[in-house]
Amino acid sequence: MLLTFPHMGTLYIVLETLFKGLDIEVLTPPPMTRETLEIGAKYSPETACLPFKMNLGNFIQSLSRGADTIITCGGEGPCRLGYYAEVQKNILAELGYKFKIIAIEPNFRHVWQVFNQLTGKCSWQKIYRTFKLAGAKLSALDYIERQSWFYRPCKANDLVSVDNALAGFDGGLAKLVLKKSENPLRIGIVGEIYVMLDNFINHELTQKLGRMGVEVYGTTLLGDYVRTHLVKNRKAWNVYQTVLRQALPYLGHYVGGHGIKSIGYTAKLAQEGFDGIIHVFPFTCMPEVIAKNILPEASRKLDIPVLSLAFDEQTGIAGMVTRLEAFVDLLAYRRRKLVQG
Amino acid sequence: MALTIGIPRGLLYYYYGEIWRRYFERLGVQVVVSGETTRSMIDQGGKIDEVCLPVKVYIGHACALKDKADFIFIPRIVSVAARQYNCPKIIGLPDLVRSNFPSLPPLLDTEINLRKGRYDLFRAVVELGKRIGNSPIASLTAWLKAVRSVKPVMTSSGGKVNGVQVGLIGHPYILNDSHISMDITGKLERLGVNVVGAGAINDKEIVKAAKQLSKEIFWHYCQHLAGAALALMKFPQPLDGVIFVTSFACGPDSLVGEVLSWHARQLNIPVLMLTMDEHTGEAGLVTRLEAFIDMLVRRKKLCC
Repeated sequence: MLLTFPHMGTLYIVLETLFKGLDIEVLTPPPMTRETLEIGAKYSPETACLPFKMNLGNFIQSLSRGADTIITCGGEGPCRLGYYAEVQKNILAELGYKFKIIAIEPNFRHVWQVFNQLTGKCSWQKIYRTFKLAGAKLSALDYIERQSWFYRPCKANDLVSVDNALAGFDGGLAKLVLKKSENPLRIGIVGEIYVMLDNFINHELTQKLGRMGVEVYGTTLLGDYVRTHLVKNRKAWNVYQTVLRQALPYLGHYVGGHGIKSIGYTAKLAQEGFDGIIHVFPFTCMPEVIAKNILPEASRKLDIPVLSLAFDEQTGIAGMVTRLEAFVDLLAYRRRKLVQG
Repeated sequence: MALTIGIPRGLLYYYYGEIWRRYFERLGVQVVVSGETTRSMIDQGGKIDEVCLPVKVYIGHACALKDKADFIFIPRIVSVAARQYNCPKIIGLPDLVRSNFPSLPPLLDTEINLRKGRYDLFRAVVELGKRIGNSPIASLTAWLKAVRSVKPVMTSSGGKVNGVQVGLIGHPYILNDSHISMDITGKLERLGVNVVGAGAINDKEIVKAAKQLSKEIFWHYCQHLAGAALALMKFPQPLDGVIFVTSFACGPDSLVGEVLSWHARQLNIPVLMLTMDEHTGEAGLVTRLEAFIDMLVRRKKLCC
């Protein structure tokens, strides 16, 4: 068995650790590039959302490199993600690949089955250590990401060294002499997790904003998601519940995916004094389209500017940069006005 | 003066509208249903970005009721069956309308969620009755009587067939709205085609046919639609082709359409996928239908 999985940001580091630790041969799909996108889009239904196309691209690239088992997630709706695997299975089979697909359904019985199937002969001690290590890596990755939000706007004239230090993961950050910029603009990023977490998909949104001198705050990191929805850590769960409560005046019910969180976090960050919100999502994403159409009202009532950006295989980088620059200019202007009274 | 409640003619109205109307009328409320879809309704609904055409049309219908009713009935129908959901856009409908059109009359946005249990519908019925000033017993009786008085309409399957026989699959709120579908049924019949729809099959067969899917589709109406399509494809009188009508930006259909065309390919039945939006030109639609039917006729001649 040669196992493969879809990409999402730095998820591959965690999954690689997990599977290798359990003595499973694993093939990480090649990093996502324009080519992945083109292959995926070619064989996907036209109006499927971007993660569907990218996942399919990952699978095709992995299968043609010799993988024979795909592990991915199932789901119970109402977001389309839950039905991805069913459709992808047929598409891949028609392309002539021979493979097995394991779609993990969100119920205890199925998770247990898959767990037993994968862990096989491993001892409990080994399983425990592997999960512990994967968890530690997950936290470390999130830590580095958070640091980058803070450090990037700090030293606008020495960007390269900040980026290098981040890439090295070796404590290089501590060696940098940093000039903390005074009171940078703060922008919260809300929206769909796949677009938020993957730098290829969002065209390095956080980096771009950081280099414009903006302190970014991403509302969902991989670790946050795992703690809230998979492990159901009490602290993370309570934060989630507060966010849901804050969304209620605008959106009265869960609409799948992260739709309601996008609105809840907009309300929460507005209260915390953020300067603006950027809402990112894949084009035609159902939950986020609802959020997008409610956000203007929330933005008015909460008095915080919101920029919605949809991503698909057509998104051009230059167009996105122009919009970001305009938005940042607007926020800077708005803050000056507020200070002057 | 009696209370007036407006019901927008769109989306789930095409499933339950008649029951809703009778329910409210039994409670002594006057009911106004918005008229047929017009161009200006679509323009009004176009204020909402990136949603599918039926949602835009629905919002246009809601706006058309602005000065005609004391309340607008836009229930939040989260789920109508255990383990299943509705499309997120249907779940978020009341919020979508409220936040974008604050000048509309107050909404009756009772939540119906049968994932919580099969009796949630009755809770919703009682709650709804209470909001317009009725006792639980009056609301429940009105509901049960309304449900009992509406019989599902079955269309005949056409009897003897001369020309080609085509299965027409799509959500009722697309097919039955002649403005959105551009009267596709009529157009096909004028081309001499025998059109069979989901109405020709009873619910039991649909549920049975849907079992062929390797994973249950969690959007209820899509599961129903896919079941109907699969049942039609294995109809006693085999179909010559299937036309699947959907709307641009419909999330569920983008995947369900792929599942259906995969099943059709296995059975060697040609499929035409038509995606409608507010820019669809009638001439373009007619051309595609004609070409598809011509192909089916030719194929049938070659086979026999």
